Amino acid sequence: MTVETNAQITELTVDDHACLTFGEQEELFDLTAAFVRDGLAAGLKVVWLSDAGPGQAVGELAQRGVEVEPAISTGQMVAAGYENRLLSGQAFQADTAVRWLTGQLHSARDEGFPGLRVAVDMSWALRPVTGIEQLPKFEEGIAAVLDGTTASVLCQYDRERFDPVTLASVAGFHTRAVAAATYYADPMLRICCQYAPAGLRIAGEIDYQAADHLALALAETVRLDSDITINMAPLAFIDAHCMMLIADAARAIAASRLVVLRCPPEITAGFARLGLDRVEGVRLVRADG
Amino acid sequence: MGDDLIRRPSGSARQSLGPGYPAESVILEQDFDFGSLYSLRAAVAAHGAAAGLAGPRLYDVVTSAHELAANAVRHGAGRGRLRLWILDGVLHCEVSDDGRDRAADADQSAPWKQVHGHGLWVVSQVADQFTIDRSDAATTATAVFTLGAAAGPDAPDVAGDLAWPGRQPAPALPRARSGRAARISFRAARCPG
Repeated sequence: MTVETNAQITELTVDDHACLTFGEQEELFDLTAAFVRDGLAAGLKVVWLSDAGPGQAVGELAQRGVEVEPAISTGQMVAAGYENRLLSGQAFQADTAVRWLTGQLHSARDEGFPGLRVAVDMSWALRPVTGIEQLPKFEEGIAAVLDGTTASVLCQYDRERFDPVTLASVAGFHTRAVAAATYYADPMLRICCQYAPAGLRIAGEIDYQAADHLALALAETVRLDSDITINMAPLAFIDAHCMMLIADAARAIAASRLVVLRCPPEITAGFARLGLDRVEGVRLVRADG
Repeated sequence: MGDDLIRRPSGSARQSLGPGYPAESVILEQDFDFGSLYSLRAAVAAHGAAAGLAGPRLYDVVTSAHELAANAVRHGAGRGRLRLWILDGVLHCEVSDDGRDRAADADQSAPWKQVHGHGLWVVSQVADQFTIDRSDAATTATAVFTLGAAAGPDAPDVAGDLAWPGRQPAPALPRARSGRAARISFRAARCPG
């Protein structure tokens, strides 16, 4: 089994068993939204198991431009918790969990879907659950079930919370490792690709010392052939130099497409000060809180 | 020079570099260079919050401190000192460096900040008042914020306003003559256009 590293979430194929690692909730929801969006667009059945109840799941996806309510009402999409699927109370059994997945595969086929996509947030495995030592067995079971099918599973691991030994022990059972494409990351700043909606995400604090990294990320983002969102909601500080770089990129993109700048109120005010609130094709969106 | 200024607010040659203020009004005094701008912002944010600032107004103070310090790092001596002080309900953010303007030295014909002036333009927009004092010995920039005000002023006083969105060249700062200080003042104004 070959494990490809650093695959993009948008590159997954029908029978992939992918291991997604994420560093924060925003990244998890972004990558999940892209996985769900592409699955629904391909006519597949999509199941998302997470701590987020159906209401929150629908909300998180809608915030990222993925409207799933119609799919939920027709049964194409299911957002659910772990109970009676992966867990029974505080107990985990790999065989039971694999049986649940097999059942999903069969029912998706019986319902007439050409394939199945399942996203599983693995944070349940960080809780005091019995049977957790069966996690590698579960991952091995998934790989066996998916072989030769049109189903793909995306296992989502928080790289900050899972220990490296656990991550290493399950990595080999996956066909691909998926993570957000990262242009730059240090303890103060992270610039990475955003998948839903497509664009760029900047978190932390940025000033002129990271301008080269930002310029490269913007140059690549401008090449996307869709509308573009530059998500600065998790940005605590941006200096005038970097703000000008983004403003220039936004003006360039806005000539042909819509560009959305999503930022905290004080940063929104900075872009408005530059006149971007009056540029056709640019939308300044305040991300409060 | 700072200690002289604090101890002798009505002193001789230093007086023209800025307003005098009592030492006890200083709430933060911190040196910086290119590697410590983050910690400088964090310190200004903490002390600004302790002084009662919050939200966009606090962000404006942090932005001003950063832009003035970054200007000293990039175009001045490469390092400098920041002081925050409060007098009569007014917060002063003062950044000084004792080097000459390297950018201006490199090209005497280029108006200072023609290319790099955006940071100073931002300060001129968000502060209630903004002054730059230059002498042969030092450059001191001070952004002033009235405490208790919800946001920056909207007084349409454009005298000395640094132009930006239209990308007009920012005005050249006056070069100091030997032994004399030059001063340029900006009143905050709305974004032109």
